[in-house]
Amino acid sequence: MSSSNNSGLMDLTFKSIIDALPCYVMIQDLDFNILFANQKLKIDFGDDIIDVSCYSVLKDSHHQCSECPVKETFKDKKVHISEETIHLSDGTVNEMIAYSAPLFDAVGNVTACIKLLVNVGTVKNTHKELVTLGQSIALLSHDIKNILEGLQGGAYVVEAGIKDEDMELSGRGWNIVKKNITEITRITQNILYSAKERKPRRQTVSPVDVGRHTGQLFEEKASSMGIQLLLQLNPKVPRVKLDSTGISRMLGNLIWNSLQACQKNTEKNKHMVCVRVDHYDNYHFMYEVEDNAGGMDKKTRQNLFKEFFSSKGDSGTGLGLMVVERIIRNHHGRIEVLTKPDKGSLFRVIFRLDNKKLDLK
Amino acid sequence: MGNTSSKIVIVDDNTDYLFTMKTFLTRNGFEVETAHDGQTGIDLIRKEHPDLILLDVMMETTFSGFEVCRQIRNDSELKNIPIIGITGMEDELGLKFDEYDDADYFSPDAFFDKPVDKDALLKKIKDLIV
Repeated sequence: MSSSNNSGLMDLTFKSIIDALPCYVMIQDLDFNILFANQKLKIDFGDDIIDVSCYSVLKDSHHQCSECPVKETFKDKKVHISEETIHLSDGTVNEMIAYSAPLFDAVGNVTACIKLLVNVGTVKNTHKELVTLGQSIALLSHDIKNILEGLQGGAYVVEAGIKDEDMELSGRGWNIVKKNITEITRITQNILYSAKERKPRRQTVSPVDVGRHTGQLFEEKASSMGIQLLLQLNPKVPRVKLDSTGISRMLGNLIWNSLQACQKNTEKNKHMVCVRVDHYDNYHFMYEVEDNAGGMDKKTRQNLFKEFFSSKGDSGTGLGLMVVERIIRNHHGRIEVLTKPDKGSLFRVIFRLDNKKLDLK
Repeated sequence: MGNTSSKIVIVDDNTDYLFTMKTFLTRNGFEVETAHDGQTGIDLIRKEHPDLILLDVMMETTFSGFEVCRQIRNDSELKNIPIIGITGMEDELGLKFDEYDDADYFSPDAFFDKPVDKDALLKKIKDLIV
């Protein structure tokens, strides 16, 4: 560093350096009142925070916090660290790490504490993402293991049928193998789709055609599962700009979920999945997938679009609905879920006919 | 070949798994009954008094395999029936079921991770059915 720079640094006051720190710095007395606050703290909480208690300023509370590093520092004269959540007046929630250190007088008594609060929201978010990633890999592995079990089991039944010259047994085994091939294909496609954010490639297409083609992909599957798949398509829904690949994937995931829900539901003898494409109102159209399976309870409904939530036990990761949610978001659409335990579920996805953002109330 | 008089109840919410495992065990000489949810499983076990139970741990039906096991272990007539727990979750979520020693919680006699090694399973079943 040059001498002129050194001279410049010396010109800086202690207070101006503290004010420039990108964190909150305060000094508190034994009653937790703020004796000093740096500029950032004043900008976020106002100039009139001197001589006001820390908990009143930061937590808008009349009571001391149950866990307070400053209190601990006053007790044992040592540095303490804690995690705090700070709510700003603009609604921002900051995850902070708080450090408190003792300030001694000439005879070694702690007369005040200096407290630093550093925003670690980014680190926390990264941590959450890593946790989610870990959970997702665990759940995907679980799903893949179940598919392997299905493939091995199906292959065993095929062989047993061949050995016994029992074509019916072989056929049942082969259906299990095919089902698991379909499932691994679906999982792989969803992993690839969710692996990165992608912008929809919009082309002017008929939403009805997308609905018809997607529905037809599942007709044989539904039939093999003993489920009636109905397509109710209103040909008057006009052509719009859509990413037909994305919409087809979204619709396919919803149909597959409904088929699996029906298969899992043993309370009813006859199951049906209905796929509809129709007007929602003058400005919107909708895709609907309705089933008469077991419906969902409150907890399942609330967690439906959380990453990797699944109520399907051994046969689902929650990845499918995550992809559904992402595709709808990319198309500025909205999803409604109507469900009743023991009655069934209806997933309704609504898009604007002119591709603008939804303004539904 | 197993003892032809030995009866096994399989409880699993995956109907394909029930079918393939039933095919496998039947071909190895066992009498097999199946249930696709916890409640049906308990009812079936009470009715059949099987020699062994093959139980899916992570069923998301009326109640889970954990609850089925708890009920069996708390039933004086059923508590000695050997139970083999089947799971696909042991490795991934770090669940170490064999570390649980609270009999009221979950106490199978053996665990198998999916995909199940059928030969090893068969050997274990024969070991457990005295």
